[in-house]
Amino acid sequence: MNIPMLFRSYESREVQPRCKIWEAARATSAAPTFFKRIEIGRAQPFVDGGIGRNNPSWVVLDEASTLFGARPIGCLVSIGTGQVEAVGIKRPGFFHQIAPTDVVDALRAIATDCEDTHERMQRLFTQLPRTYFRLNVDQGMQRMKPSEWEILSRVEAHTAQYLRRNEIDEKMALLGRIITVPKAGLRIEQLGTKGPKF
Amino acid sequence: MDVDTAIKHYVIMVKDVFSHPKGRPGDGKFKATKLEAAIKSIVREVTGSSESLLLERNDSTSCRT
Repeated sequence: MNIPMLFRSYESREVQPRCKIWEAARATSAAPTFFKRIEIGRAQPFVDGGIGRNNPSWVVLDEASTLFGARPIGCLVSIGTGQVEAVGIKRPGFFHQIAPTDVVDALRAIATDCEDTHERMQRLFTQLPRTYFRLNVDQGMQRMKPSEWEILSRVEAHTAQYLRRNEIDEKMALLGRIITVPKAGLRIEQLGTKGPKF
Repeated sequence: MDVDTAIKHYVIMVKDVFSHPKGRPGDGKFKATKLEAAIKSIVREVTGSSESLLLERNDSTSCRT
């Protein structure tokens, strides 16, 4: 159960279940306490990422190393969902009334988990500047009430505000240049992502 | 699926799935059947069949995000 199962939409040497799109989507949304788990193929139960997997950067690097290990790494772009503050929910609000405490706790654990992985990635990439990019709307979401599903415009506003920040604007410009003109850096397999991480 | 379409579907799905927590939560706080139905409906709209396989054939260029 602790070994991550990748649902691939591409051919791979790994054995993988013949799985439908909806099954894969359902399995990756099987966050404990949210939804019951799903069984695919030979009655193998799946739960969503779990601790250490909510931010899949390690898993992605591992997979990339297997598939393209000999190629130089261009960049790794990690996009967060702005959860950290969104689920910070400091004041009891409507969400607390509809969402049981353990759901709120689970969300908080997921957010913390994502940031832990981000910090590990930062450490891994200190040897390779301008390679790892993390974008995550980290401010402003805390006043949102997740009960209102019309909040999309506010998510949009916070995101726009985030992107207007000087350092983010510069980061995006740099990222744009690096994606279009990749630099020849280390080979992916040289990063040392293989082996146990947890 | 392009980003705008994905957002459109996401909003509908979230409303469907999270608006009604289970009265007596057993195995999960929200109804997995609602989530499943919502996912299948999206897959059907985008690929033509709710039962489409995940693995793409090599000649396919469509994005399964």
